[in-house]
Amino acid sequence: MSGFVEVLVAVLIVAGAAFAFLGSLGLARFPDFYMRLHGPSKATTLGIGCLLLASLAHFALRGEASLHEVLITLFVSLTTPVSAHLLARAARHRRLPARGESGPAARVDATARPDAPSGNAPR
Amino acid sequence: MDTALLALALVPFVGALLPAAAKRLFGLAPAVAAGATAVLALGLVLWLAPAALDGGTTVHRWEWVPSLGLELALRWDGLSFLFALLITSIGTLVCVYASGYLEPHEATPRFYGLLLLFMGAMLGIVLSENLLVLVICWELTSIASFLLIGFRGHDADSRQGARLALLVTGSGGLALLAGVLLIGDAVGSYDVSAVLAAAGTLQQHPLYGWMLGLVLFGAFTKSAQFPFHFWLPHAMAAPTPVSAYLHSATMVKAGIFLLMRLYPALGGTAEWFWVVSTAGAATLLFASGVALYKHDLKGLLAYSTVSHLGLIVLLMGLGTPLSEVAAVFHLINHAVFKASLFMAAGIVDHGAGTRDMRRLSGLFRFMPYTATLALVAACAMAGVPLLNGFLSKEMFLTETLQLRELGWAGLVFPAAATLASIFTVAYSTRFVHDVFFGGPSRDLPHEPHEAARWLRFPVELLVILCLLVGLFPGATVEPILRAAAGAVLQAPLPEFTLKIWHGFNLPLAMSLLALAGGVTLYFYRRYRGGLHDYVPAWVQGKRLTEAAVAFVQDGARAFWPGFDGERLGRYLFVLVFFSLLVGLLGYAGAPLVGPRPVQPASAVDVVATVLLVLAVAATVVLHRERLAALALVGVIGLIVALAFARFSAPDLALTQILVEIVTLLLLLLALRWLPNRTPRVALRGRQARDAAIAIAAGAGCGALALAMLTRPVDTIAGYFTATAPGEGGGYNVVNVILVDFRGFDTLGEITVLGIAAIGIAALLHRLELGRPALDPLGRAWASRRNSLQFEVVARPLLPVGLLVSAYLFLRGHNAPGGGFIAGLVTGVAVFVQYLARGATWVDERLPLNYAHVMGWGLAIAVVSGLGSLAFRHPFLTSSTPTFELPLLGELKFASATFFDLGVYLAVVGTVLVILAELAGLRRQERG
Repeated sequence: MSGFVEVLVAVLIVAGAAFAFLGSLGLARFPDFYMRLHGPSKATTLGIGCLLLASLAHFALRGEASLHEVLITLFVSLTTPVSAHLLARAARHRRLPARGESGPAARVDATARPDAPSGNAPR
Repeated sequence: MDTALLALALVPFVGALLPAAAKRLFGLAPAVAAGATAVLALGLVLWLAPAALDGGTTVHRWEWVPSLGLELALRWDGLSFLFALLITSIGTLVCVYASGYLEPHEATPRFYGLLLLFMGAMLGIVLSENLLVLVICWELTSIASFLLIGFRGHDADSRQGARLALLVTGSGGLALLAGVLLIGDAVGSYDVSAVLAAAGTLQQHPLYGWMLGLVLFGAFTKSAQFPFHFWLPHAMAAPTPVSAYLHSATMVKAGIFLLMRLYPALGGTAEWFWVVSTAGAATLLFASGVALYKHDLKGLLAYSTVSHLGLIVLLMGLGTPLSEVAAVFHLINHAVFKASLFMAAGIVDHGAGTRDMRRLSGLFRFMPYTATLALVAACAMAGVPLLNGFLSKEMFLTETLQLRELGWAGLVFPAAATLASIFTVAYSTRFVHDVFFGGPSRDLPHEPHEAARWLRFPVELLVILCLLVGLFPGATVEPILRAAAGAVLQAPLPEFTLKIWHGFNLPLAMSLLALAGGVTLYFYRRYRGGLHDYVPAWVQGKRLTEAAVAFVQDGARAFWPGFDGERLGRYLFVLVFFSLLVGLLGYAGAPLVGPRPVQPASAVDVVATVLLVLAVAATVVLHRERLAALALVGVIGLIVALAFARFSAPDLALTQILVEIVTLLLLLLALRWLPNRTPRVALRGRQARDAAIAIAAGAGCGALALAMLTRPVDTIAGYFTATAPGEGGGYNVVNVILVDFRGFDTLGEITVLGIAAIGIAALLHRLELGRPALDPLGRAWASRRNSLQFEVVARPLLPVGLLVSAYLFLRGHNAPGGGFIAGLVTGVAVFVQYLARGATWVDERLPLNYAHVMGWGLAIAVVSGLGSLAFRHPFLTSSTPTFELPLLGELKFASATFFDLGVYLAVVGTVLVILAELAGLRRQERG
């Protein structure tokens, strides 16, 4: 039993670290803001989730299970979408160029229409 | 007896709050509350009167701060009684008069509160046994006077007059403080009794001249003696009840009270004689002359007041026992007739719409009662026989004739006295004749009318007093006079009798000459000399003072740039550089590392430390990118919080994280009004210098920490840990220290917190931080508010946050938590609602004034501290009773929890005042 859990914990840690790394890599390497946003908000969150599961399993095995990991998961899953959404909204509002529209013509076009509706339809 | 005395000293201060409390009841309620307070004080004075009238002196002492030798000591003798009687009786009449005089919108609790505050301060002066308390009350009267003169603050004259009065009397108060300190130093005690008994010591003292000069400067400025008289006429911008009360009957007599109080200690010397009597004589002559040429009724009365004060000061200066008696007598008489004259002038102003004697005329037919009353009072002022003014004036003239040993100089005083009396008669005649007689006026703003019942009543009472004292001095005023004069002299009284007829003698001749001369002078000037056209161009004390103030301000402005480059960097440089120097001196010669072993560092410690250093370095490098720097500062705060948690300070860690959150929010919101990048200002060379200093200071701090932590020190921590559960009733030592052991400190701290929040709110109150219409890139702002997701997520955060803060609060006494931390959690939880839903949405659901929340917190903290007084324990003593509750069982409860509740509310209020108001969230949406 414990051997199985240890393997599980090891797999989760490696997977979590990999996802977190990929998220950070994406943040550094993706070509435009909207793509970069995916890295930390999705991949890294998944990575953190894996690490939390690993921690939960590890301490549960030692009989020291606690609610901490559950709470952290809860708050990460509450806050990450909110900040990602706010960032995306701000970017849309500022008309940050997506890939393919980053040429000078697109910028002129963006600043020329200040009052155009943003991505979200008004309620 | 002692309780009554203490009550007398405190009643006006407590009563000052009543008008505000009574405001809602009915229109006149503030006036009634103030009047009732004054009547109560008057009743106490009369209740205490027998103890003073028999000539005794009683001093009562209450312990205050025994460890500092501070006590509350009140003195009750004839002089205190006389002044207390004047203050409370005229105060009562003024409250009655003001209720009829003030416009409804002016008859505010503020007015009556200030009046009672003044009454309390003035009573403090006359009752105080301690000279320092006397000086404090002295300054309080100056402040009350300032606020009352400036009561009609929309009027520039009021404001200037108030400033001038405060400047002159306030500087006099400072001089008096210095003089009192010198006296106290020489005597070894500030008790009036001790000072009075040490006349020999004082007068032989090498600094006697300084003591006398400083005390006299204080007295002369307060009592408007030449050349410091000029503030009093400008103080006439105050509403008339104030002029009658403060600026004729009581406050301006505080200086004379001081002369009388300290006469046995400082008086009787040649310096006293020359300075005091010269100042008095000059004032008397100068002011009575000027009074004749004033066109404003109140201006005339103001200069008349100055001249009568000069007369009393002159009598004080003459220094014979009888002259002191005459001074006390004239002081009483002047208070009575001048208050009634001021009130009559107010009635004229009210009834005819102007106080300008060039326009007033023939009012007798419109207001016969007032005219008769004013006529009698003016006759008393002029010294017409059968009225009170005559008696004291006769005594005054007699005393000026007693200076035979001075040779020809001795003739100057009687001559000046006669001349001033002529002027006095002339301006008294003018006051009556110009206003009430002569042909009917054609130049009045409206038809004059007789005064209302309540306006006339105080005048009637005072005028009857003038008559009674004038006719039957022995039966009315003599006991009071004997008691007061005895207290002034601190010696057996000289022989004297108060009677109207002393036979034909020189003083009577001088009086008759003054009457005849005065009337002649008035009619000559009126019909021949163009009294109404002539405006004397005296040197204007007000202009000189304003010029002096402007000079000082300009000088300071020229001087200041040498010190203050108005750059924060320079302040920091000076502060850090000199701290470094002082610190280096402290290090000299001591080994850096002490004998205690250093703990081994774990890998986590090292990583955290490295991160901390990197974050700090990055902040320095990126400091011009404000947003990035702010994020890095957040990282630093987080690592510091982790360090606290690592080294067993969970309270500090919690507080640090929360403070970090609040600070970040605050700075982020403030960033919206600031440019994204800090402009580069520092020069390269100065940057290098600053960097060197900063690095040296940081290294110094590190070395200091190392040196401290490696030395064995015996701290107070062990004591606290040992006593907290037993005496404080809690196992969380930090919280027990905050709310119990050092409760007084905490109270002070939350008070400062509140003051800071109010200061921020006040600074931003009218500041237009309007959001620019377009963002920095020239685009319109988003029309919609924040995201739906944020709103949905934020909503449940409020109850969760409140639950957490309740949990932290309740467990605070025994485990990490407490009011401060809980307050921060609540503040952040509520603030998140502001961010998510906007101010309108939150304010509809939470209609709170956060400044009030803060105020309630402070009030609860103070009241819970006062609670221990009820059980005869010192302020803020905590108790930990144990209750047996049904179902819940035994509950241990520290009374300090209430104090902690106060802390909690104060912190919540402060955080939300600062965040919600400073960030401009509320204003922005309300427009």
